Amino acid sequence: MTPIALTVAWVAFLLGMAWYIAVLDGLWSAAREGRSPRAPLANPLYRCATMLRHQSNLTEAPDLLNWRLAPPLYAGLAGTGVALVPFSSTNVLADLEVGIVWWGAIEALTVVIVFLHGWSANSQFGLIGAYRYVAIGLPVMLISMFVLIATALPAESLAIPKIIESQRGLWNVIRQPLGLPLFLLLGLSLSFRGPFNYADSADIADGTAAEVSGAPRLVWEFARLAMLTAVATVAASVFLGGYLGPWLPGPMWLVLKTAAVLLVLVGLSHQLARISPSRMMTLIWTVLLPLSFVHLVWAGVLAL
Amino acid sequence: MNVTDIAFWIFAAIAVVSGWRVFCTDSMVRASFLLMLSFIAVGLIMVLLNAPYLGIATVFMMAVEMMVMALFMVMYMMNPAGLNPMMMVHQHRFSIAAGVFLFAALTGLIIVTRFTSNPVAPGTEVVAGLGKELLGDSMLIFETAGVTLLATMVASVILSSRSGRFGAADTGSVPPPLEPGGEPAGRQPGQASGHAHHHH
Repeated sequence: MTPIALTVAWVAFLLGMAWYIAVLDGLWSAAREGRSPRAPLANPLYRCATMLRHQSNLTEAPDLLNWRLAPPLYAGLAGTGVALVPFSSTNVLADLEVGIVWWGAIEALTVVIVFLHGWSANSQFGLIGAYRYVAIGLPVMLISMFVLIATALPAESLAIPKIIESQRGLWNVIRQPLGLPLFLLLGLSLSFRGPFNYADSADIADGTAAEVSGAPRLVWEFARLAMLTAVATVAASVFLGGYLGPWLPGPMWLVLKTAAVLLVLVGLSHQLARISPSRMMTLIWTVLLPLSFVHLVWAGVLAL
Repeated sequence: MNVTDIAFWIFAAIAVVSGWRVFCTDSMVRASFLLMLSFIAVGLIMVLLNAPYLGIATVFMMAVEMMVMALFMVMYMMNPAGLNPMMMVHQHRFSIAAGVFLFAALTGLIIVTRFTSNPVAPGTEVVAGLGKELLGDSMLIFETAGVTLLATMVASVILSSRSGRFGAADTGSVPPPLEPGGEPAGRQPGQASGHAHHHH
């Protein structure tokens, strides 16, 4: 594919997957509440139109630059994450030698952006969401970095295309069984959904987005879906072999695997309850992080 | 002037301007993230110089570091959330003099140094080369020590954070006694609530 075709495919992938997640969310909520969904396929588009018609809210003395920049920057980070992933063995938008290090930078910058989004509104609910998010988001990021380093060990490379090629014989999800579950937690944390929704949850009136409405809110909600897409795409590539697979062309396999990972992520975000931030901190630091150490040792011994 | 040159000038301008703005802003949070922006621009210049690992690791580390720094500054400085305006610079005369001197000295060093022109051949595995150059055969030992150190840090924080100022963290907080060794002050958990005597 030419770079232009690749870019068009990248945009279509992001928009399509965001729509897919929104449809799944609607169907899942309807099923849980025992009602029949109304226009499940078109509903996300109606909601976009509604948000666009709303007035953009302004608070008293916000940091307007950071406040307005945070949603597009968050969406941009998600887009950069998807660009790292090859659609097939020859088609990759950003062929970086240090792909998973760049993904780590995306995770770290996401924490900064979400903090700034809550902080810059100059409103207390936004600020509470921002602080809670940093406390949870940073240790979850640590876990995901150990998990990603483990996938680089058999490939002997930090590049995502090489990590995919190293899974021709055996997918990492089987070789390193703890990796995918731990990485899925990162997906919930980076887009603050379900059990990891500490930034924008209902108990603090939508947290960092409490004062945000209109077009900025639309961009922010889209960015959350795009970030979940980015996590699912990276997960499908480094654990499920990405574009590798029989019969179908490579890009199809990537789309199918990403869609399957997204289905699991949406299911987890609707089915798991959220626990209080302090208990989640204990869980992360005393259970999940040690698990990621065990995982890294396991992967290292296997790679030796 | 090719694309790389243009990118260099843009990143250089971002690095210098945001570095300068760190000293003009009136908020700890803004100062931290302006400094982060400056470092990110420097990291991207390192990527342009064909040092992708060092450059992107700089971006990664600066994002985490500035986030933690901003949070801790706000926590310790009693400035609600860092949105209140506050003076961010101290010792004006000394710092201006030190800044001018350091800038002149470093610029002088750049001018008098004869840099070697030794471009890396395209296709060289610079990341693997850097790892071997830095660590050589001790890679495994170094990585093991790194993870062990982190595990030790986490464990020591968890062990030391159990006994808080007001009792063990997992038993709930108990206020200190009014006299040494006495009963804890205030109402005890489990005692009848203060609303009991309102019943008729």
